[in-house]
Amino acid sequence: MLSLIARREFTEFCRDGRLFWTGGIILLLLLTALAVNWQHQRTADAERLAAQTLDYDDWVNQEARHPHDAAHQGMHVFKPQSALSMLDPGIVPYVGSTLWLQAHRQSEVKFRPAQDATGLQRFGNLSPAWVIQMLGPLLVIILGFNAFAGEREQGTLRQTLSLGISPYQLLWGKALALAIGLGLLLLPTLLFAMGMIVFTMSGNAMVDALWRTLWLGLGYSVYLGIAIFVVLAVSAKTATSRMALAILLGVWIVTTMIAPRAISDASRIWHPNPTRYEFTASLDNDLGNETRKAWMENFGSDQRWGSEVGIDQWGKALEVDDKAGYKALDHQFHKLWDTFDSQQRVQEWAGFVVPLLAIRSFSMGVAGTDFANHRDFSVAAENHRRIMQDKVSHDLVEHADGHGDHHFDYKSTREFWATFPKFTYALPDRKFALAHNTLSLAILVIVLLAAMVLAHRAVMPRKA
Amino acid sequence: MLKTIQLDKHFGSHQALKAISIDVKPGEIYCLLGANGAGKTTLINLFLNFLQPTGGQVLVNGRDVQQYPLESKRDIAYIPELVMLYGVLSGLENLEYFAALATGEKLPRDKLLSLLQGAGLDATAADRRVSTYSKGMRQKVGIAIAMAKNAKALLLDEPTSGLDPKAANEFSQLLTKAKDSGVAVLTTTHDLFHAKQTGTRIGIMRRGELLTELNSADVSHSELESLYLQYMEA
Ligand SMILES: Nc1ncnc2c1ncn2[C@@H]1O[C@H](COP(=O)(O)OP(=O)(O)O)[C@@H](O)[C@H]1O
Ligand SMILES: [Mg+2]
Repeated sequence: MLSLIARREFTEFCRDGRLFWTGGIILLLLLTALAVNWQHQRTADAERLAAQTLDYDDWVNQEARHPHDAAHQGMHVFKPQSALSMLDPGIVPYVGSTLWLQAHRQSEVKFRPAQDATGLQRFGNLSPAWVIQMLGPLLVIILGFNAFAGEREQGTLRQTLSLGISPYQLLWGKALALAIGLGLLLLPTLLFAMGMIVFTMSGNAMVDALWRTLWLGLGYSVYLGIAIFVVLAVSAKTATSRMALAILLGVWIVTTMIAPRAISDASRIWHPNPTRYEFTASLDNDLGNETRKAWMENFGSDQRWGSEVGIDQWGKALEVDDKAGYKALDHQFHKLWDTFDSQQRVQEWAGFVVPLLAIRSFSMGVAGTDFANHRDFSVAAENHRRIMQDKVSHDLVEHADGHGDHHFDYKSTREFWATFPKFTYALPDRKFALAHNTLSLAILVIVLLAAMVLAHRAVMPRKA
Repeated sequence: MLKTIQLDKHFGSHQALKAISIDVKPGEIYCLLGANGAGKTTLINLFLNFLQPTGGQVLVNGRDVQQYPLESKRDIAYIPELVMLYGVLSGLENLEYFAALATGEKLPRDKLLSLLQGAGLDATAADRRVSTYSKGMRQKVGIAIAMAKNAKALLLDEPTSGLDPKAANEFSQLLTKAKDSGVAVLTTTHDLFHAKQTGTRIGIMRRGELLTELNSADVSHSELESLYLQYMEA
């Protein structure tokens, strides 16, 4: 019975050309975005690999020099791209993927996380995720706005119900037809992506990426399912299909363009993050306090780099000064990141009202391109920076401080540079992604169930 | 089979049906006569549970239609004044779809064609989209759908409106055949001749009231006509 209803409905989509034109254009957009992103990702990957190797070679092949000079030159580390960034680049275009590890100071994070970049702003970099998030529901509206309202106008609804068909069966049959229509978009995109994954990757990385693709498929199915049942509910409740279309387009504009922007602003009012200037000032203040304390303990004076500490203790002083700062850096950066996290969390909860926010968050998370992944990378990069910095200080304490006034004549050589480890970082695996995104998925599922209940109530026969 | 007990229906302050009690038994063709606005369509809608009664009861095959909205509809085949179909589908596809919904099984093409033919639809039209059909052609598809359902009862709301005389005549034959196989038929009509010809019983309604019921065998056509006019003028 369901398949019968669905097939009839689907035939109608096909015959009146709605599916072909609207769906076809969206599918074209999806596959183009996917292909372009994939191409871009391949080039970026190759460049990253080359740059990482070159940079390390530069480090190892430095001439003999004072190690602190070398530490100032530092090393660049490059964040590996998640394979699924071809589906959802997430915040990567906004936060970048290169960090400069240099002496004394943790690299700045970008102060403009992608949470700011809503709706049309993201049109700039067309991604498959964006297309499905924004245009998927629009296609559901175009295919489904007249599902009930139109049949009521035509009188076919009466004809159908007079046969003793339950309105719930009708609802599910129509939902099935819409699901098939949307599946024609989602499935080729996912299969295309999986094909590229199998084609270019191997081993665990491939399995991981394939799993992520399946999870994305699940998330987007739930998201589009919400759209399907909301559209059917509205269509069942409105008197005319014209009215249904007007209402649905209004809902679409509000929930994909206006509300995400507003909620993103609200999340920043609720959990304000400091400006770059405030952050730097506050960090400088903390660093000052911590280091002065450490100088006092170690050298009996809180005058950093004052005359009380001789040049024969320069390496020691550097070590004390840097290590004292770690706590302040950790504190300030984690506080900042926690604020970004809280903003993100607000948006996830807002997914109850604006499912776009929940799916966006889920999608980036599962694709490995969200802020949690960026944070993981930043922490790893900072750890690497500290390893380098500590090695340099230690080398100075061991070898240069003994030279007394000739401290700065000390030079380290290639043998020493070669003892520095390479930065080997792999993005967290899918377990990390799932652990961080159960909330958004749960919210989507709950909203889907609510939409189903709503649709059931909307088609319920009216009692006089 | 099709039964109402003291059925009242109000639309706001307007009373469309007043204490209507009818009972159509298997093997009967009950013709409801009455001017426009008499309440005939309202009565049919109450049988389909598309409207809820203000008072009284509607029973189909002994079941209250409000308590058994789906089951009671499955015992009925319904042909409205204007049969509504899917314009982008052909007549045959419409029949195939609605018949499958009604019976739960897909009928083969030749069976569908013979149903359409039985309803008087020209075979060459069967595969054309319904959006190109005339009112009468749609009506014929509606008749075919009703026949495919093989229901215990037929509810017909001016089913022959828009049919050419030949098709109307063929339809009367279909009704008689259904009656003979034990189907209960309730039909509204303006056609006194048709009522006398095919009906077994005739009810005359005016402004929501059932004024009289008579056996069609007991009256001649001209007697029926003068009786009807008499009631309408009173
Ligand atoms: N949904 C409705 N709301 C209000 N009044 C209605 C409605 N349906 C029918 N009526 C009124 O009930 C009366 C009977 O209508 P109807 O049953 O359609 O008559 P008939 O089919 O005998 O021509 C008319 O006066 C009509 O205006
Ligand atoms: Mg009528």
